[in-house]
Amino acid sequence: MTNECKKGRNLKNSKSDMVNLTKNVDQKDDLKYNRRAFLKTAAGASIALGLSTVPFSVRAMMGMAEEENERVEIGRLDQLGEGESMTFNYPTDNDPAILVHTVNGDLVAYNSACTHLMCPVFYKKEEDILLCPCHKGYFDVNNGQPVEGPPQRELPLIEIEVENGIVYATGRKYRHG
Amino acid sequence: MDKKMCWILIFVTIAVNVVMVQWTVESYLGQEFNQVVIYSGISVVSAFIAFFVFLNWRKLEYAEENQQ
Ligand code: FES
Repeated sequence: MTNECKKGRNLKNSKSDMVNLTKNVDQKDDLKYNRRAFLKTAAGASIALGLSTVPFSVRAMMGMAEEENERVEIGRLDQLGEGESMTFNYPTDNDPAILVHTVNGDLVAYNSACTHLMCPVFYKKEEDILLCPCHKGYFDVNNGQPVEGPPQRELPLIEIEVENGIVYATGRKYRHG
Repeated sequence: MDKKMCWILIFVTIAVNVVMVQWTVESYLGQEFNQVVIYSGISVVSAFIAFFVFLNWRKLEYAEENQQ
């Protein structure tokens, strides 16, 4: 096999009968879209898919290094009656969160960005549930799990602590329950 | 490894990779970083398998042609 042939093995200077058919309607397409090209594309797609996960793991390794759990003051408990809620930011100013004093008297906090498309969820006290108005997503107020609508993942749980009537956020759990 | 096996393996790696991409993204959003690394590791390994199987297929495929 000469070098010249190797380069042109799919092209018109190939010795293959298939390639040298000249009476077919569209020889160019036949040379371009065929069984071999299909497998090449498939292999390429598989490799591309496989490598596309690499940025995620790089980011993940960076994320594993930084684990911050600061204690941040949210507000005074006596200003938050049962059935009321208030918003705050935790752990950074770009992470909106909601503190809910449920009608049953429990105190819970979650990041309020809906796990569907990040609209802020709010507390609906008539039904004792967290509602995302964007696409009618509902979350259980007691554990943050999605109960209805498009969201698939739970809201990140913010761990809270009450000391001397002041509520503090002390940490965050992404997967819980 | 014959050519048919190569075809099968390449399509198996596509299936594996599609699932792994989905799982990687899910666990990344859930901040389960250990799992992200595992899934993307599997995915990269299967991409390599696809690559080497493809090389093997190419060798077989065009060797045949040259014999003719
Ligand atoms: S953004 Fe909340 S349901 Fe779509």
